[in-house]
Amino acid sequence: MRRNNFVERSLTGAISFLKDSVFADEYASAKGFLQSLDPRIKAFTFVLFVVTAILAKSAVICLILYSLCLALACLSGIHMGFFLKRTWIFIPIFSLFIAIPALFSIFTPGEAIFTMDVAGLKFIITRQGLSGAVLFVSRVVTAVSFVVLLSITTRHFALLKVLRVFGVPQIFVMTLGMCYRYIYLFLEIIQNTYLAIKSRVGTSLGYKKGQHIVAWNMSSLWQRSYYLNEEVYLAMLSRGYTGEPKLSEDLKSGARDWAWLIFSVAVSAFLLMAAGRGTV
Amino acid sequence: MDNTIFRLQDVKFSYLGRYPALCGIDMEIVKGQRVAVMGANGSGKSTLLQMLDGLLFPDTGTIEAFGRTLNEKAFTDTEFNRYFRSKVGLVFQSSDVQLFCPTVKEELLFGPLQFGFAKTEIRSAFDTIVGLLDIEGLLDRMPHQLSVGEKRKVAIASVLMILPDIILLDEPTAGLDPRTSRELANFLARYHDENKTIITATHDLHIIEEIADIIYVIDQNRKIIRRGSPHELLEDTAFLEENNLIHSHLHRHEGMPHVHKHDHLSHYHHHS
Ligand SMILES: Nc1ncnc2c1ncn2[C@@H]1O[C@H](COP(=O)(O)OP(=O)(O)OP(=O)(O)O)[C@@H](O)[C@H]1O
Ligand SMILES: [Mg+2]
Repeated sequence: MRRNNFVERSLTGAISFLKDSVFADEYASAKGFLQSLDPRIKAFTFVLFVVTAILAKSAVICLILYSLCLALACLSGIHMGFFLKRTWIFIPIFSLFIAIPALFSIFTPGEAIFTMDVAGLKFIITRQGLSGAVLFVSRVVTAVSFVVLLSITTRHFALLKVLRVFGVPQIFVMTLGMCYRYIYLFLEIIQNTYLAIKSRVGTSLGYKKGQHIVAWNMSSLWQRSYYLNEEVYLAMLSRGYTGEPKLSEDLKSGARDWAWLIFSVAVSAFLLMAAGRGTV
Repeated sequence: MDNTIFRLQDVKFSYLGRYPALCGIDMEIVKGQRVAVMGANGSGKSTLLQMLDGLLFPDTGTIEAFGRTLNEKAFTDTEFNRYFRSKVGLVFQSSDVQLFCPTVKEELLFGPLQFGFAKTEIRSAFDTIVGLLDIEGLLDRMPHQLSVGEKRKVAIASVLMILPDIILLDEPTAGLDPRTSRELANFLARYHDENKTIITATHDLHIIEEIADIIYVIDQNRKIIRRGSPHELLEDTAFLEENNLIHSHLHRHEGMPHVHKHDHLSHYHHHS
């Protein structure tokens, strides 16, 4: 029972955390360095940093970029705890599937630095495996952090607009915008259904009964979110939506944006050169 | 000049071809009219309003707006689409569906930006409407986190922002407390003038006198069975009861319980 409550609390907590953090817009409207940049230039430079992190096969370079990312977050008035929580939440998922198995000798052969014996099976962590895993995790952390930072410091419609500027087809951008709204509705329905069930049957369900309700719910969930989404689309059409994101201010870039662009290109070029020469 | 805005002739509609929602609706709505559509749950009010907003089209029968037949093809004409959408605004029954922007402010700006209204025009409409609905304090909030009444106000404001001449409201007072309902009714009464057509679906008998000159009642068979003035309709309690618009009610008077018809309208409720 106690454990059940714990699981329940973490799950509902996770859902509301996801909802609040993915859909919170407060940072995008706050005043800070990144918020003041032209979204087009900001998006371009962030892509550049991510590409650099991936091309430079070096954990040190990834860490330098990661520090830059954290510094930018600080300059933009983002609460560190929130930012770290929001980015590191993705790391275990990636790491579990790719980095951890690669640690061991079956996947990455090489010189052993640590051996453990579990139930007669030998697990050997190799040096190559370890450095591969470190590199992998640092890349993922850096890439995810930049993407998250871009999304929380840029308004939703501005982000969609940037995609259009970069030549992504309208139908794709429109679908993406709808998906965003859809995920929100979906999470909200899960939350409400959970509350509704709880109020009707109480918290302690028998296993069979619980399973039954969950199965019933999954099917009605899809249906309901589908109808809701369709109606949201009608509501958008009704107010003149034609699929093209429109912004209240025109995108414009000033001296500051260009200075930032030059700085970013210089940093990336320098890091890539350093990686090429093998200094780091 | 012809003042007819909407003309519906024997309109039938069913969802997915299986669930009938409108079964032969005839209507004519002229400029400046204030219309209320009443009917029990499931009688097709929302469907009718969405059709008037050019979001659904009849299976059979015709709907004309501004002298032009509404169908999918009409809305592929961008010129007409723009004209119609900026003229007609719909406040949906569920505000959750209607509010899809990250902040209230963006929600209000969404419509005008789509139409590419001039900046100064948007600015002045924004200030007026925010003042009218008293939502100044909500501008930076997320629409989903508001209360039902606050959401409703934001939804109404977001529709008014496109400065429509024809406003469709789907149960605007549902879920609102009596005072807020009253304020909304007063607001609509003040907002109306000879150029604004207001069409409201409701079963709130408290407000219909203020918000409508003509009432259409749709019955369980999803047809219009009555068209008349609010006054005449409110007198006919037998009819109202038959159509689920009022209900019999157990009451206690001076310690003596008795059953009588009750429509929650204090001024129709005399006992000596
Ligand atoms: N998406 C849908 N799919 C299938 N049937 C639907 C759908 N929406 C509505 N209906 C059906 O169409 C009929 C009319 O529904 P509508 O929502 O127009 O009624 P309403 O008068 O607005 O009711 P309420 O007072 O409850 O809002 C109902 O019988 C309903 O079951
Ligand atoms: Mg309805």
